[in-house]
Amino acid sequence: MTAEELKNLIDANEALVIDVRLGRAFTESHIPGALSAPFSQRGWGAAVAGWLRREAPGKSVVLFGDNKVLAESAQKALDAEQVSVQAIWDGGMGPWAAAGLPIVAVQNVTVDALRQALTDWRVIDVREPYELRSGIIPGAVNIPIGQLTERIGELQPDQRYAIVCASGNRSQSAAAWMAEQGYQVANVVGGMSLWIGGGHPVER
Amino acid sequence: MIWQPLQDPELGCMSYIIGDPTSGEGIAVDPLGALGAEAYILAAQDLGLALVEVIETHVHADHASSAQELATALGIPHGLSHRAPASYAFHALKDGDVMALGQVSVTIWETPGHTPDSISLVVTDERRGQEPWLVLTGDSLFVGDVGRPDLADADPGAIRKASEDQYSSVHRLMDLPDYTEVWPAHYGSSPCGGLFMDKKPNSTIGYERRFNPFLNMGDLETFVAQQQRLLKPPPEEAQELRRRNLGVTS
Repeated sequence: MTAEELKNLIDANEALVIDVRLGRAFTESHIPGALSAPFSQRGWGAAVAGWLRREAPGKSVVLFGDNKVLAESAQKALDAEQVSVQAIWDGGMGPWAAAGLPIVAVQNVTVDALRQALTDWRVIDVREPYELRSGIIPGAVNIPIGQLTERIGELQPDQRYAIVCASGNRSQSAAAWMAEQGYQVANVVGGMSLWIGGGHPVER
Repeated sequence: MIWQPLQDPELGCMSYIIGDPTSGEGIAVDPLGALGAEAYILAAQDLGLALVEVIETHVHADHASSAQELATALGIPHGLSHRAPASYAFHALKDGDVMALGQVSVTIWETPGHTPDSISLVVTDERRGQEPWLVLTGDSLFVGDVGRPDLADADPGAIRKASEDQYSSVHRLMDLPDYTEVWPAHYGSSPCGGLFMDKKPNSTIGYERRFNPFLNMGDLETFVAQQQRLLKPPPEEAQELRRRNLGVTS
């Protein structure tokens, strides 16, 4: 299957694309509308099947991976839960991007690069309030990740946002979701653990 | 750092996935045919790592490797000592080469002896400290033992040379700080080692310096003589396994 054929198949069936790659790879680049559910050997099939039954019953499902082992393992895990998969893709984003098809991409920014150009960014810290005792990046706004969907309206479409959390995991998901909504976002790699570890200034 | 040993107790084989949690980059070391490439792909995924290279500490003669299969499945390089006589294309590693996986770095030390293409991987995590934290010693230094000198070439002259090399290599490893962890490619009763190999899969440089009999038997001649005395028949199909792992079809 070529990337164009995959695109046609998704469009024709209004298929739900489940991206099984690691969260980092999804954040860097993914198909618009795809859901991130990184495959894992324990519990993945039941969790995803449960979610599909609840949120998207009857929806056609396409699994998106970047290697055969990963894509087929995910398919097997859903098979075991009696969820049938319409198609699997194991070629990653390379062929999709090469075909000029639309992508959602989030830039990664290192703590050093962010420090250098701090005025170019509005920093959003998505940690929980109790985690802020270790300090926040000067000027950062705290929006705990659970409040992001209701508070997204506070953000400006023409502003560049750098999303940070403790270690870079939650910020990765938050940034991917915000990019999906059309905002200009970057993920701060390594989060506050590297910002503080690198001796960069914090506000308390 | 992310650190995951994967083992095959049947053959006393160890393999490893090592990576940096921030950069999300990792390597697989000495992946085992008995576990298959799939095991490493799925373990790395569970650990949140994208494998960027497969490295082997030497071309194995006692078990099938899944390094080529893994490298092909993921489209990543297969790293081996530049001295490995492999028939496929590989990333040729030399003494002093450094591979940076974010803040975790892996430095190649050539430690010939068990085979001419034996290397050790010295691993440092700069987030914790500038000194090495552990070393993967392949079949150079084992826990309580050293790798046998006769599996790459059974010619008596070659065995003697291999034994001399092994003496230098294991003593060179003693330059590492005492607290450096030692993680070999075998433990327990592996055909690649001898009588003294411990069932414990890891040790430290300091412990081996004090208590490994091969590091405490004095000069080169005594070491070579002792290795000669302990020679035993090669594992079944050793030559065939090494040929297959080199990609040579016989």
